[in-house]
Amino acid sequence: MLEKQTDPTSPMHWRGDMQADYMYTNGVAGDRFFRHLMEKDTFLATKCKKCGKVLFPARLYCEDCFQEISESDWLEVPATGTVRVFTVATINAHGKKMEEPKIIALIDIDKTDGALLGIIKTKDLKRDFCGVKVKAVFKPKEKREGTLKDILYFEEKI
Amino acid sequence: MSRKVCVIGIGHTDFNSMTPDMQWKEIMYEACQKSYVDAGVDPRKDIDSFITCAEDYWEGFSIFDEFVPDQIGAVLRPCCTVCGDGIYGLGNAYMQIKTGIVDVVAVEAHSKASDMLTYGDIVLFAYDPIFERPISGPVERPNYAGSPSYSKERPKPLVGSTDEKERIHPYFLAGLEMQHYLRKTNTTEEQCASVVVKNKKNAFNNPYADYEAKISVDDVMSSEYLFKPIKRLDISPNVDGAVSFVLADEKTAKNLGVELIYLSGFGWSSETPWLSTRGMDAAYATKAAKMAYKMAGILQPRKEIDIAEVDDRFSYKELQHLEAMGLARPGEAAQMLEEGVLDVKGSFPTNTSGGSLGVGNSLEATGLQKSLEIVTQLRGYAGKRQVPGAEIGIAQAWRGIPSGSGAVAIFKRG
Repeated sequence: MLEKQTDPTSPMHWRGDMQADYMYTNGVAGDRFFRHLMEKDTFLATKCKKCGKVLFPARLYCEDCFQEISESDWLEVPATGTVRVFTVATINAHGKKMEEPKIIALIDIDKTDGALLGIIKTKDLKRDFCGVKVKAVFKPKEKREGTLKDILYFEEKI
Repeated sequence: MSRKVCVIGIGHTDFNSMTPDMQWKEIMYEACQKSYVDAGVDPRKDIDSFITCAEDYWEGFSIFDEFVPDQIGAVLRPCCTVCGDGIYGLGNAYMQIKTGIVDVVAVEAHSKASDMLTYGDIVLFAYDPIFERPISGPVERPNYAGSPSYSKERPKPLVGSTDEKERIHPYFLAGLEMQHYLRKTNTTEEQCASVVVKNKKNAFNNPYADYEAKISVDDVMSSEYLFKPIKRLDISPNVDGAVSFVLADEKTAKNLGVELIYLSGFGWSSETPWLSTRGMDAAYATKAAKMAYKMAGILQPRKEIDIAEVDDRFSYKELQHLEAMGLARPGEAAQMLEEGVLDVKGSFPTNTSGGSLGVGNSLEATGLQKSLEIVTQLRGYAGKRQVPGAEIGIAQAWRGIPSGSGAVAIFKRG
């Protein structure tokens, strides 16, 4: 290019934003999963007839076999699990320090072959949570909305 | 079908943490123009097909491909966009040339990361909206989805509200994965820190790199934990830049009289997007590499390949990817690093360009930046970081957090 801007005060810009709100449908399996969550303190999973894999969160098809899940393949599993790995997050989406660090864990849900991301509530931020058994703590039933936010956090299962 | 595919031109802009003077279209124009001059082709006559690689959300507008043709010389010509890393563009160009319907193809990818004012939130958009994204924190908006909490109120603006301040940065997933990697392989945080030290050092000899630095393992270790065990310096900072490639069939390449660098193998793979059932061992890289080795006729990758550029957008990723691709035995990449095997002067130089830790995270241009380094090395034009006698090189890129996808390209000197 023959000419470029060399005066640092000269570059101009247009500041825009993207209005990007969606209504994400839960789908057939997701709807059932969350309707169950509003009534009970347990989770729903689906078991693949072909390979026996217990899919969690519940889905309508097996990602390994491409097998469709039928009515008899649904099962109720406890809202408990084991922490596979965890991390202590300290910054927000803008890269600024959050008031309190948050512990996010990937929790292998009992009696399933799936896992769920969860926040672990603890005062001991130095603790090694790997392998620790945890249980979900839910909102009171009357306040549940049928979203992931109905799980307030996970805490150590004693 | 026996046509061979060659890289006949490469071009790139300088990589900078911000580019306030130039528009994204202009950096694309600059990189493309350089690659066309390098190849000795006129895009308006000689290039048969154009491929750009980009993601709408990175760019900030819909249907990116509609905004492409003018700045790359592709108006009223066959043109398409691959929604993904630039390395996928090489694979698409390879296939187009193999079919025989085109002879010369241009591939472009770029990053104008500095245009994004809400990078973290944009990355959060890549998480599953129902089962994963909400974990990052409160998004207090009315739930319209027919739930009991249906509200007639207008959505509350998020900018500046308290819930926004507590929304966790999407890179937390790398913290989880790094912890898995460290535990599984007995690799230490210090060893991962050594990757940062090596790559930032390599970047000194790469004129276009933007994040070169002379630092120690202690410097990395004492940088603050952001997503434990990930520290600030384990993360490649974003960078702006554009890279362009021109590929052609062997006959056209010979007629042009350019050095022959063959694209001899290519592979790609995607894991399940569900974090709930996905593994944490970069299986996407294993599968993609196997596919590429087979295509290139490589039986013993570690012995036959001379140089590698693997995705190092987080320090542990370099080690994890080397192992996943069979270039190091499981759990032994850190040892190779400590023994100097991965150094520019080592027996398996890795990320001689400085990688993303040294050059910067150029988003969808990452795979092309890595391929650019391999081609530069195979041509013998890498200056102070030149690996003598490099004949076969491999470039690998991952699609970044939170994806489980990636691709591999193998280049061979003619």
